[in-house]
Amino acid sequence: MKIALISGSPKVNNSVSGALLKDLKSHLAKKAEIIEIGFHKTILSEEVLEELKDADTLVFSCPLYVDGIPSHLLSCLIQLEKVSWQNPNIHTYGIVNCGFYEGIQAKFALKLFENWCARSGCIFGGGVGIGGGGALNAAPTVKNGHGPKAPIDKALKILADNIIQQRTQENHYVSVAFPRFLYRMAGQMGWRQMIKENGGKAKDLGKRPDLL
Amino acid sequence: MKLILTDMEHFNIPVEGEHKIISPQGAIHPCTGCFGCWIKTPGKCVIHDGYEGTGIEMSKCTELIIVSQCCYGSVSPFVKNVQDRAISYVHPDFVIRKGEMHHKRRYQNVISMSAYFYGENITDTEKETARNMMAANAFNYDGVVKNVLFYDSVKELEDIIL
Repeated sequence: MKIALISGSPKVNNSVSGALLKDLKSHLAKKAEIIEIGFHKTILSEEVLEELKDADTLVFSCPLYVDGIPSHLLSCLIQLEKVSWQNPNIHTYGIVNCGFYEGIQAKFALKLFENWCARSGCIFGGGVGIGGGGALNAAPTVKNGHGPKAPIDKALKILADNIIQQRTQENHYVSVAFPRFLYRMAGQMGWRQMIKENGGKAKDLGKRPDLL
Repeated sequence: MKLILTDMEHFNIPVEGEHKIISPQGAIHPCTGCFGCWIKTPGKCVIHDGYEGTGIEMSKCTELIIVSQCCYGSVSPFVKNVQDRAISYVHPDFVIRKGEMHHKRRYQNVISMSAYFYGENITDTEKETARNMMAANAFNYDGVVKNVLFYDSVKELEDIIL
């Protein structure tokens, strides 16, 4: 079985979407042929389209952008819709991470993948909506089922099992195991730190610029 | 002011009253997820390609009107790109709204959203997704949805007045 893990983040390196695929891959290891592909730009090359033709499974991982998927990924999906899949039962799964705390806010983005499947001849196998994405790169690795990432790791393990078995699952929504008020506080402290690092002041976060 | 986001290069739909149209006029760069519009030049995208000021334009509108091809229940890549590049309309800080985390307001204007989707064979599921997406957008902007309508072709849109 050939599984394509597709990062739909615009970031080539250090993206949460890529990190989640890495975690998923650890649950899939040695059970299938895995190829890793980045959809980081608006246009897909012929080589990429050719490489995906004989895939049995596609797994998209992307950040939530304005309630949907990033525009460049939407553009890629339109190009991918025209591929003639060699496997008539090709399955597609989605992982959408968002900066908001609640993973359920990714539900319409996952629905876009499902609607894309209906048009492209794929079977939608379900996905995972992950909240608290802003904390994931900083969170420690899961050990013995504990830590802020534990619920996410559990959801990815279930997803991996379903991918290997080519089963469909209901969309699963999870958040980091970290209180929402602390996540919010940490996020807002982060914005203040970042604007200061860029030479601004905390109050500048609320600037209302006018067009020149 | 009415702000119109459209993927139609030659936009010929009549619009009543003061308005601004953002349509494909030159290449648009996708959002890179850098958050520069929040932490480097708050309120404005850092990519200078002519589309960096959409967040500011949104602050001046009372109506946000989307005229777009429907792609799987989403707006088209161009319109989505404009939206992705305009997250500076909101403040990076969080608020809890109806039990969910969203972004705080940067401006005081309340946006009324309308969407006119076009495309052949838009399925009922895609229409439902599109309605839900517009409602979610409006909620994130702390605005309201006025209407979401569907048309089989661009030609059908010639009969409407915005």
